Amino acid sequence: MNTFFQTLIVGLRLGSIYALVALGYTMVYGIIRLINFAHGDFIMVGGYTMIFVMPLMLRLGLPAWLGVLAAIVVCALVGMGTELIAYRPVRRKGTNMTALITAIAMSLFLENLAQAIPAIGPNPKVSSQIFGNGGFKLGTVTMEYTTVITLVISGIVMLVLYAFTQRTRLGRAMRCVSEDKAAATLMGINVNSTILLTFGIGSGLAAIAALMYMAQYPKVYTTMGALLGLKAFVSAVLGGIGIIPGAMLGGIVIGLVESFTTSYISSSMADTFVFLILIVVLIIKPAGILGKNVGEKV
Amino acid sequence: MKSKKLISVMIALCMLLSLGITGITATAFAADDPIVIGIISPNTGTLAAYGTGIVTGVQLAAEEINAAGGILGRQVELVITDDQGDPTECLNAFNSLVAKGVTLIIGSATSGCTSAITDAANEEEVCILCPTGTADSLTTEDDYIFRACYADSFQGAIAAAYAKQAGFEKVGVVYCAADVYSKGLFDSFSKACEEYGIEVAASQSTASLDVQDYTNQFAAMVSAGVDFVYAPYYYDVIGPYVVPQARAAGYTGIIMGADGYDTTPDYVVAGADLTVFNDVYWTNHYDPGADSEIVRSFVAAYEAAYGSIPSAFGATGYDCLYIYKAAMEAAGSADAGDVRDALADTSTVYECVTGTFSLDESGTPVKGAAIISFQSDGSAVTSTLVDVVTQLP
Repeated sequence: MNTFFQTLIVGLRLGSIYALVALGYTMVYGIIRLINFAHGDFIMVGGYTMIFVMPLMLRLGLPAWLGVLAAIVVCALVGMGTELIAYRPVRRKGTNMTALITAIAMSLFLENLAQAIPAIGPNPKVSSQIFGNGGFKLGTVTMEYTTVITLVISGIVMLVLYAFTQRTRLGRAMRCVSEDKAAATLMGINVNSTILLTFGIGSGLAAIAALMYMAQYPKVYTTMGALLGLKAFVSAVLGGIGIIPGAMLGGIVIGLVESFTTSYISSSMADTFVFLILIVVLIIKPAGILGKNVGEKV
Repeated sequence: MKSKKLISVMIALCMLLSLGITGITATAFAADDPIVIGIISPNTGTLAAYGTGIVTGVQLAAEEINAAGGILGRQVELVITDDQGDPTECLNAFNSLVAKGVTLIIGSATSGCTSAITDAANEEEVCILCPTGTADSLTTEDDYIFRACYADSFQGAIAAAYAKQAGFEKVGVVYCAADVYSKGLFDSFSKACEEYGIEVAASQSTASLDVQDYTNQFAAMVSAGVDFVYAPYYYDVIGPYVVPQARAAGYTGIIMGADGYDTTPDYVVAGADLTVFNDVYWTNHYDPGADSEIVRSFVAAYEAAYGSIPSAFGATGYDCLYIYKAAMEAAGSADAGDVRDALADTSTVYECVTGTFSLDESGTPVKGAAIISFQSDGSAVTSTLVDVVTQLP
């Protein structure tokens, strides 16, 4: 029973992170149908920002996690910069495929750029302690508060995003853009600034994900976004990409699958099963767990 | 498709090279030309601390040698290349060195990278002296590959011997199934355990070196009831992930590792409870605090030059250049074939920072290992020498 609880907790811990990252993927995809592969690297940008800002916070006597505010600003700027410099010109001239390739290029560009900056450099950096240790007992196993906080934050972010897209004028504009850009323009919606805003919010989320990631896995390195981003992307697809609650569900499912495979099947097969589950789900339900099958718009 | 492309690139390089060689031989007899030594190491990427160590070690040796008049009256010139800890990049770096006409190479840091260039080196007849690649399969008889460190069959066995000496009858292993280094150490450790009559009661693996959660693996160790776990990983996961998570999973026994634990104290979480690092042991190539003239003067010179205590990577890198120097002086030539023959002489004794040794038939030093432990009062982690083992029991 202890093994079960332990495995469950590890699964939730991984899953909560994947869910937070997946929310960023799904949001951008939902609006402009672009799989922003650079999203994982925005997390790296947020991670390094906090590595540099946290010592300042501590020196000012503030809690280290307040560094996330700086990270949100930096990430949002980087995200919007990416949209302005890379994605928008490409979208204007090319197709969805060219935009996708640009996203992959952007991801590699950010990773290598970070490495070339002397203050970041090639060495991994380890953050200082972000939240205090502690947790509550589940059987004999400790459930850390950090994991709970991460899950709660994911939940809040999910609800806020959902409410934002459903209830506010800007959110409604986003949904319009995602349905039909031309019609949205005719309705007086500024398509370009709506997309820019989407990137700002999506990248800001990456900073929050980076904070929660570092609180549990305190190592930051330039390629950290690669596998993390891939797993989160899989989570988003599994839950139904473009659907906000789907990202959270998918993230937690992927985390649990990974953890339970490690404990009960084979510890080196975790990734194999993650991707196997993805294939199986996509065969049975191509639009993802929460997705509805809608015909492709022409 | 990929291999086809690789082959065509290799052929193209070979053609370039054959042009290059004819160009070089014309000038090779000029005695005052510098001897060019290539370095391949992970200077960027997650294992950059290794690359930095090796490069600074070799540079220090080169400065000393050049100040003392060079090798065979010729100055030493270094060409530094970066493999980013990636086997493909390692082969690229190797090819770029070969294209520049470099035939004496020091590199790379890890077994995974070095194993990507051994075949090419033998084909091109280029000498490789590997500072810290410990996988057994790297060096064989009659080849151009040598190293300055012990092999994993010895390193894994030392850990097993230590477990036996400390009285453990049941041990566990957590390792990475997809990494040459980690898997190699796992193999040699389990083999030695069998010889010493120690039961490997639990064995858990991870699918890659990028895994960030080791809690389940160590929870399995706890339920198997073992108090000694061999976990051959690198410092970048040992510091932030493996050790703290193992303790959080309720594992309180000994964690033992290998030379990959070097520099771990620089990669721990400030502000966290660092007493988790007590009872962590690892095997290393040398002990910077050793009481011998050669180690003392090396450590002092390194500190003066770079302001830090040299890691084992600095020490083996430093040794590599002196081993090349000895071999070139014995051969009376800086030609790769002659140097290879000199290195293949198993009777030559090299007096180095990481020990006094000769190379065996395969080109691996016959030397001991230092067993080092981490200690922490909670705020910082320090290393202490526990024992030096020169022979397996």
